This record gives sequence, structure tokens and C-alpha cells, in this order.
Amino acid sequence: MKFYKPLLLCATFCAAVMSVAHAQQEPGLTDKTIKIGLFAPLSGNAMAYGFDVMNAAKMYYDKINKEGGIHGRKLEFVVEDDRCSANDLLAAVKKLTEQDKVFMLNGGSCSGAVVGAREYIERAQIPYVMLNASGDGALYPPSKYIYGAFSISQRAVGGSMVQFAAEHLKGKKIGYINHDDAYGGWNLEAAEFQAKKIGVDLQVQSINPNLTDVTAPMLKIRAANPDVLIITTYARPVSLLVKKAQELGWSKPIVIAVNGTADLKQLVENVGNKDAFKNVYLQEVMLDVAGGPKLKWVYDMYKAYYPELAAKPGYPQTYMPYGIPSAMAVVNALKAAGPNPTREKVLTALSQTKFDSGVMAGPIELTPTDHAAQKSAIYLKFDGESMNVVPDTYRSLWTY
Amino acid sequence: MSLNDSWLFLQQGVLSGLVTGSVYALLAIAIVTVFKTTDVPNFAQGEMFMIGGYVALTLLLIVKWPYAVVIPLTLVIVAMGGALFQRVVMERVTGSKGVGVQLVIATLGLAYGLKGLVRQTGLGDTPRSLPPLVSGDAVLIGDAVLTRLDIAIFMVALVVMALLYLMFNKTRIGKAMRAVGMNPRAAQIVGIRLSHIRMLVWALSGLISGLAALLIAPKVLITPDIAHIAILAYAAAIVGGFTSLPGAVLGGFIIGILENLVGLFISTNAIVVAPFLAILLTLIVRPQGLLGGKPQLKKV
Repeated sequence: MKFYKPLLLCATFCAAVMSVAHAQQEPGLTDKTIKIGLFAPLSGNAMAYGFDVMNAAKMYYDKINKEGGIHGRKLEFVVEDDRCSANDLLAAVKKLTEQDKVFMLNGGSCSGAVVGAREYIERAQIPYVMLNASGDGALYPPSKYIYGAFSISQRAVGGSMVQFAAEHLKGKKIGYINHDDAYGGWNLEAAEFQAKKIGVDLQVQSINPNLTDVTAPMLKIRAANPDVLIITTYARPVSLLVKKAQELGWSKPIVIAVNGTADLKQLVENVGNKDAFKNVYLQEVMLDVAGGPKLKWVYDMYKAYYPELAAKPGYPQTYMPYGIPSAMAVVNALKAAGPNPTREKVLTALSQTKFDSGVMAGPIELTPTDHAAQKSAIYLKFDGESMNVVPDTYRSLWTY
Repeated sequence: MSLNDSWLFLQQGVLSGLVTGSVYALLAIAIVTVFKTTDVPNFAQGEMFMIGGYVALTLLLIVKWPYAVVIPLTLVIVAMGGALFQRVVMERVTGSKGVGVQLVIATLGLAYGLKGLVRQTGLGDTPRSLPPLVSGDAVLIGDAVLTRLDIAIFMVALVVMALLYLMFNKTRIGKAMRAVGMNPRAAQIVGIRLSHIRMLVWALSGLISGLAALLIAPKVLITPDIAHIAILAYAAAIVGGFTSLPGAVLGGFIIGILENLVGLFISTNAIVVAPFLAILLTLIVRPQGLLGGKPQLKKV
């Protein structure tokens, strides 16, 4: 026993030293701070997708810091503007990782731009939590380092819409217009899966996002005589299709995906006739309408943190609340990683995430095999002016 | 597909195709006119069309002027912009012994410049529509449905084409433009000022672009990317004959109808491919285009 005692002490000491040394080797980590790299489109055309989303994340992080931080460490940030451009985003990610040496990354509001950084992030082995990009291309097949779709994945957009059309609108035959690009392919994949699962017929017309005349797809849909029409395109084709539907005398329900409803006032102006919205439903990925009672706490918090910005017209921007669940996931993972966090521990914690954000329609759930966080949506009856929430949430069943 | 559906598709495809085709035809005329008189394919034609839409949008929705002022002012601004570009940029490139490639690059520069300009204003962040001058009420023609706006677009485009025909055939300016297109040196010898005519041609191209934008913007919405419509106008010009104004008109209608029929009878995915297939087919079977006359050999 006398012989073993010093050996045991020595081994314990060595283990402690190695553990401290290991913690010190983790970039962006000190005894008092955890450095996080934030990035979003803070300027340019796509600013509406991410500027206030990052503000929401920052105010949530600030709240955590005021409450004492995470295991005694305060969160510290380096902020970069990615302008929703794949090149700028990759440059931001590289700078934050190599130059600023952040512990982990939290950012990205545009799927196309985010997908381009996947290869680098995997090489750098840095934990990356998307801000509000759906980023299906970066999430499937799952990468150990990347988590996202805190708003909703593009696949879940399609799956949830089919569920709503079949369950609430009692559609047996559903018309479906999507884009013929990767984005449209992703939502169609889950829509077809959902339709097969619940036994409804899906009539699909895929169109190019730049199409000037939507007569052909709309006429073909009308000829197929579906009970409901689902549109998952971007804003411009949505306006053209709703307008054409009215011209062709379409009176059945139309369900519009969240992709095409960023600016509802402009949508109504572009269609040019409120009668076209007599039977229209909008997909919403938050648990209430923007500014509704269930989301009041987010908007109140925004006003308290950014009083000057909140007083400006157009603010808070539509997608502002999306930043909260992403920041919550980061904070929860850092907490779960314990007082001596490592990137590995954070990644493990991220893969076991499950919480209710109080912002999004469904729970935030991440598993080792599915890194897309949110798969549910609510639906709003929209008459061109006011919106009424349809009870219940509708979840996509598609899994990777 | 039932026989009834096929008949409806055919009627609707042709009629809707004529409406969009009439706008492609107008832009194709602008492309052909510039090409015939300057030997330069104007790759900024789509952007000139796009800027016409945004000028009108700014005057209508921001400055809040009525259409009676906005329409002429938009046409004047885009036409003057075109003339200015020819005078300041193209003339200088030509004067400094610039070759065709440099002139083409200059038009590409204009395209990027105009797109960047619109993006900087913030107006391009979301698709926008011009308030329609004519109501969007449906009109039944056979089994097909058009709107009053569609009919107005088609009719105005036809009137403009007729006016252009008269200008090119009956006026001194039009004849001078055609003369420069046929033989610039001979035209110069008989006293036609090449720079003057080329400037007028670019102004005309701007005018037609502005008009096309005013016609179609309430129907298709404007974004900075709407300039891609010029690709369809190029397809129209190539199919009809790149040196023929009537060919440009015919080509416009063919492309408009073809897009719809391909979408209705083959697949909606194939709509965007159809104009390119038409270009390929034309280049293989009749390279000079349908109304392009006999292929010409140039002496070198």
C-alpha cells in the first residue's frame, strides 16, 4: 500500500495537470470568458434576414452575462458581417477561427451562403450553430460540427404544409408548386414523404424562380383539380401565382410557405386585389403571429435593449425572434459541457439538445443523427389585412 | 390529359404567349436596332428595361407623381440615359480604335452598373409592382382567360411596333438609321452623321425598354434580376433573324407561345430551356433566322 500511495498521488496530479493543460489549449477560452464568433448579414440587400436576428441573439447572451455567465465565465463576442454572400461568410468564418481564435461559431442567416462553409468548418473542427439559416445542404448528411435550422429546415417546410393541408383543410388531392432548384427539391422530398405516409395524392409542378409567365403551372394545377394548393416558392413567384390563380377563377384554399411571406403588405400590393386572399393560409414557424401575446416577452425585451432601434419604422425586423432559440442552444450546450468545457464536450451536449424555446412553433430538438432543430409550423388564415391563428401545430415527419 | 384539357391548354398557351411575346418582341426590336447600326449586341438591354421599371416605380410611389407625368418622364429619362451612354462611353471606345469585344464589354459594364445602382437604393430588396393602368378583370376569349391588362399590353405593343415600322420606312431619321445599318461608310458619304444616328438609336433602344417596362411591370413584378428577360428577347431576335426587325417581332411571339406550350404539354421544368432549344435549332437549321434573308459573306 505504501508503494501504491505515491503512485496514485502522482497519477492524480498528472491527470489534473493534463486536464488544465487541455482546457488551456481550447481556443477562445479563459478562466473568465468564452469567446464566441457571431456573424450575419449586417449590411446590403439581405440585411433584413439577419441584422435583427443577431441583435436578438446578442440581447439573450447579454441577459445570460447579467445573470452571472456560464459556470462563472462571461460570454465575449467577435462580430462579422457576412452580407449573405458565400465568399464573405467563408472569409468571416476563417477570420473568426484563425485570427480571433473563438471557441465556437454562431451565425449565418442564408442557406446558400452557409452551405459553402461546411467543408472549412469540418476541417477546422470548430462547433458551429447556425443563427436562422435553414441550411439543409449543410445539415444533411449530418456533420459532427454543424447544427442549424432553428427557424425550420426547408424539408420540414414541405412536410408540415402537407400535414396541414391534409389534416386541417381535409385535402385528399393536394396541388404543390415548388422551385426546380435545390431549395425546392428539399421541401418536395419531405412533402412527398409526408403525403405517402398519410395517404394523400400530391400533384407537383416545379418552376424556375425567374419565370415571367406562370400560366402553364397554374393552369396545369387547375386541370388536376386538387382540393388545396400549396406554394413553396420565393416572394415574387408567390405573388404571380396568387394573382394568376384569381384570374383563372381558383377559389380553393391556397397555403403559402414561410419562404414567400417576409413582406405581406408588399405581397398584397403586388397581387393587386384583396379578393385573391379570400381563402389563403400562411405558414408561420413561430408559435404566434409576430408581436402576438405568446411572443410579447421577446418584443418587450427587444424594446428594452434597443430603444432607439425599436422606435424606427420597420423595426424590429420580421425575423428578429429567430435569433433567440439559436442563442439558447449555444448557452444550454455550454452549460451542459460543465465548468471545464471543451469543443468535444460542447458538441456532445449539442447532440443531446431538447428544450422549448418559447419562440418557435415546435420544440428545439437535436440528436446525433439529426442536426436540424425545428420541424413544426403553425398556420394563419390571412384575408389580405388581418391574420387569425389556426389552432394546433403541424409537424414534418421526414427524417434523414 | 383529356381532349378538352388539351384544347384549353392550346388556346390559353397561345393567347398568354402572345401577350408576353409582344414584350419580348419590343425588346428584341431594341436589340436588333442597336446591333444593325452599331454592330454591337447590347448586353445591357435587360438592365435598361429593369431601370425603366425602377424609374417609374420611384416617380409613382416615392415622388407620388401621376401616371400622366410618370410615363413620358420615364421614357425620356431612359432614352436620354441610352443616348448619353453611347455619346460618353461607346463613342469614346470606338474613337480610341476599340474593337467589337471592347464595345461588348462596355455594355456588360453598363449592365452591372445599373444593377448595382438599383441594389444600392434599397428598392430592389423586395419584388415590387407598378399600379396597373388598366384593371386586372378577367376576359374570356374562347375557353381561355386573359385580363384587360393583358389585352392592353398586347394592343399597345402592336401600336408601338406599327409606329416603329412607319418610322423606319417613312421618316428621314428612320431611313438614315437603316442606311447606317446597311452601309455606314456610304451613309457617311451622303452626309449622315454616324455619331448622331448611333446616339439616336441608343435613345430609341432606351425608349423601347422603358415602354416595355411600363407595360409588363404591373404583370410580372420588378426585381433587379428581372433583366434576365432580355435573354428571351435575344432568343426572339436570333429565331426571327438578328438583322431583321419583322423577324424580331415574329421571334418574340414564337418564344412567348413556345414557353407556354412547352410548359403545358411537356413540363413546367422545361419552360426555361425552351428558348435555348429554339436558339440551337435555329442556328443549326437556319442560322440567319426565320426572316434573316440569305446568309451574307463579309469581305475582309
